[in-house]
Amino acid sequence: MDTLTEERATLQETMSFLGAISSGIEDAVGESAGSITYVAGKDLGKRFAQQAKRTDDLEEALAVVRAVLAENQCLWQFETFQPSDRESLVRSTEEGEEILLVFRDCMIRQALFLYGHHQKGSLCNMMFGFFAGAVETIMGRKSSLEVLHAGENACLKRLLIHR
Amino acid sequence: MRMEIHEQACRGCRMCVEICPTKVLTFDEEACLAKVGKVEDCIACLSCTYLCPSGAIHQEDYPRVKNFYRDLEFCGRMEKFL
Ligand code: SF4
Ligand code: SF4
Repeated sequence: MDTLTEERATLQETMSFLGAISSGIEDAVGESAGSITYVAGKDLGKRFAQQAKRTDDLEEALAVVRAVLAENQCLWQFETFQPSDRESLVRSTEEGEEILLVFRDCMIRQALFLYGHHQKGSLCNMMFGFFAGAVETIMGRKSSLEVLHAGENACLKRLLIHR
Repeated sequence: MRMEIHEQACRGCRMCVEICPTKVLTFDEEACLAKVGKVEDCIACLSCTYLCPSGAIHQEDYPRVKNFYRDLEFCGRMEKFL
């Protein structure tokens, strides 16, 4: 087996294991499983981003998050999405600044599908927490990541940086 | 990305229109058929394609996610946790 195949196989096993655990947590502790994994992910995001560059520009912050993920060997790629009827990528709302993100090659989705677990569960929450923690550390403002749509080949999310 | 809905296959159930998160698909009330609208807004989530009961939706040239290997050896090791 070449190194890349081996690495991917190891990642696959780990993620499948996490998928099984998260599904088990949901059965055992019910609805609070999502909050537990969210907080765990957020702590991890904060820790990973501790040394990262600080900025108050949202697009730059996303580039920093991308770099943080890559430095930590996290295969979790995302891109920004601007619908054709929106005038700008970043939209200012009453709650804060909002940007849409598309997640394609998501190791979590792959792990969940392998054994038929549903999306938007506790493992997804862990990654939302991770993202929110990293963005908060980089921008110094509260943020939240909401899943607008969990698809088979891509997911659409809304990142909100609170005022 | 290119996208097509086969008119003869579409049974007018509207499921694709309802599931699409970016409102790419529209519905022609007169013909009772789904239509492709703003294809540039498609994020290639493939939900419409998976959901369509007639297999009427076809996409081409889109970023396709590489699935985890369905390797029996790895699956076997993980099955004990499930
Ligand atoms: S889901 Fe398929 S059959 Fe239903 S309206 Fe859409 S294209 Fe037609
Ligand atoms: S692939 Fe997703 S975004 Fe594209 S038309 Fe279908 S449901 Fe809408």
